[in-house]
Amino acid sequence: MDTKKTRRQLGGELVIPCLAIAFTLYFFSTIWNSPWTAQVSAFAVGGVLLLVCGMFILRCVVMLGQGEGSLGFGNLFSRDDIATGRIGLFFTTLGYCLLIERLGFTLTTFLFLTLSMIILSKGKRPLFITAISAAMALGGWAVFIWAFDTRFPRGWFETTMKAVLANG
Amino acid sequence: MGETGAILIEVFFETIGFWWVIIPTIFLGLIVGGIPGFSAANTIIILMPLTLAMNLQTGLVFMVTLYCAARMGAGIPAILVNIPGTAGAAATPLDGYPMAKAGKGQQALAISFVASSIGGLLTTLIALATMPILARVGFYMHSVEMIVVMLFGISLIASIASQDMLKGLIAGFLGLMIGSIGTDVVYATPRGTFGFLEFYDGVPLIPALVGLFAVSEAFIIIEKKVIVTHEGDVRHSNWHDTFEGVRMALARWWHIVWTSLIGLVIGVIPGAGASIASFVAYQQSRTVSKTPELYGTGHPEGLIAPESANNGVTSGTLVPLLVLGIPGGATAAIMLVVMQFHGVSFGPSLFENQPKIGYGMFMAMAVAYLLMFLTILPLSRYMSHVTTIPTIYLAPMIISFTLVGGFVPREYMFDMYLALGFGVLGYVARRTGYHVAAILIGIILGPLLERYFLLALKKSDGDIMTLFSSNLGNVLWVALVVSLITPVVLNRRRNKAKVVRQ
Repeated sequence: MDTKKTRRQLGGELVIPCLAIAFTLYFFSTIWNSPWTAQVSAFAVGGVLLLVCGMFILRCVVMLGQGEGSLGFGNLFSRDDIATGRIGLFFTTLGYCLLIERLGFTLTTFLFLTLSMIILSKGKRPLFITAISAAMALGGWAVFIWAFDTRFPRGWFETTMKAVLANG
Repeated sequence: MGETGAILIEVFFETIGFWWVIIPTIFLGLIVGGIPGFSAANTIIILMPLTLAMNLQTGLVFMVTLYCAARMGAGIPAILVNIPGTAGAAATPLDGYPMAKAGKGQQALAISFVASSIGGLLTTLIALATMPILARVGFYMHSVEMIVVMLFGISLIASIASQDMLKGLIAGFLGLMIGSIGTDVVYATPRGTFGFLEFYDGVPLIPALVGLFAVSEAFIIIEKKVIVTHEGDVRHSNWHDTFEGVRMALARWWHIVWTSLIGLVIGVIPGAGASIASFVAYQQSRTVSKTPELYGTGHPEGLIAPESANNGVTSGTLVPLLVLGIPGGATAAIMLVVMQFHGVSFGPSLFENQPKIGYGMFMAMAVAYLLMFLTILPLSRYMSHVTTIPTIYLAPMIISFTLVGGFVPREYMFDMYLALGFGVLGYVARRTGYHVAAILIGIILGPLLERYFLLALKKSDGDIMTLFSSNLGNVLWVALVVSLITPVVLNRRRNKAKVVRQ
């Protein structure tokens, strides 16, 4: 039982090398018929990357053969990810990216902060969280959009406030 | 000399009189430097109408102060939450963040402020005294020499990889490969772009920085209640910790001096920048250190090196701008535009025709660093409280404000998704023992290395021996080899000595 616990989770550790190999091969495919200027450094860097990834995979195979590791992904995904709200935070982050173009910075930030803080705190202190989220979103709007006219994504709230401020 | 001295003293006191511009600008600079995407260059562009409306001297003081303060500000989130505000601060969290996690955030901030202020102030004075000589450095640095300078920075990957060489090299070379995305510099052939036009200019740096550091860090820190590792370390901040940080920095004054000089020399070279300087300084600091094994664990010298070097760059950047009219970076280029709007002509004649403007830029920098030291240092006590904010509130704030920071430089929604993608990559890397800093070094320095490499080959009709064709280049090659071999030799000696003692 103890041996199982101390085994290295090589499945998770192999994700980056596998991604690196796939990306390098794709990269090579895009420069195969290109001028040498486009190829030279990519082939050199990509060649070394493939070599070190190959060595790493070989090391993992040896470790698996000696029973020192398993192909598990425990170091990458676990039940704790649901318990800590990490999965929820990921989806709210994805939602933030999807909605910000339509709703603008202020509203989307408010919704994102409220929702993700409520998920992470497991529903505790919703009023406090709403107040903090509103303060942060409005503070961000006041500093970055109203005061400095920064190029933040704009939506209904920003347009309305601009009209309100322009007309006194 | 006497006349110049009188002008310098006059300009110094005149600049002090601009305290009412400098102090608010310091705070503005700290904010814009601390949030990825809001560099000093962006802020000066945003506030350009205001800058142009000011008289020349006020405008210059404002721009120079903002430039310095933003550089210093970038180190604050790098230390407290592992998020470098700019690429120039990418080496700062390597030792700054472990200090913050160990409950020494206040000391780390104080070290950073002292190293930045002294490094910046010292290099400003040296730049002022040696301007004609420094201005010529750029003439000697051709593509071959630049390749070696880049390799000095990239060799940091090998140091980072020391714990697990294969993983470190995979991370570093993956970064270099990602950095190769985009069109090649000679024929503009698109490579590895996945069909996205947004990648034709290469991988944008800010989304990569935001994703690899900020987003992935936010997903990691929610496992803990607060950033500091042991809850026992969450204690009330006090002045003693600030003074301890100051003492730790001042005790290593010589380290501040030589690492800031690295920044100054690299800053003088047009096209090089703070990120290269901080990586090179960190790597060299580790190479000559008696305790290289402490680097990456919260070692003060590992924090001093990048901070003093990237502030050394600020004064270095002004040299080619003022003496030759060649801006050494984005912020310097914007300063050039503003100064030209006011009818200032650059070159050696600047110091004859308008000495107050020429010397005034350096004096503004010196005064800004002095006032920064006095105003920001006491704040480290309060800033360090960030590490005690519950992560359930901190993580979403980090994600929202940094992701939108990724959008700002190019205004592409694509960049926000890209930052999220890098966030996932960074998260996987952190959870499985790959160093995100190694990936970032590759992304930052890879395209620059490739550019200089191709230029060198193109100039020599593809003769690879061109890499060893210049005297200065060969000296740098030898220095590079020495800097790579020295730690190995020293390490072996230390191990032998240990064995003998045992």
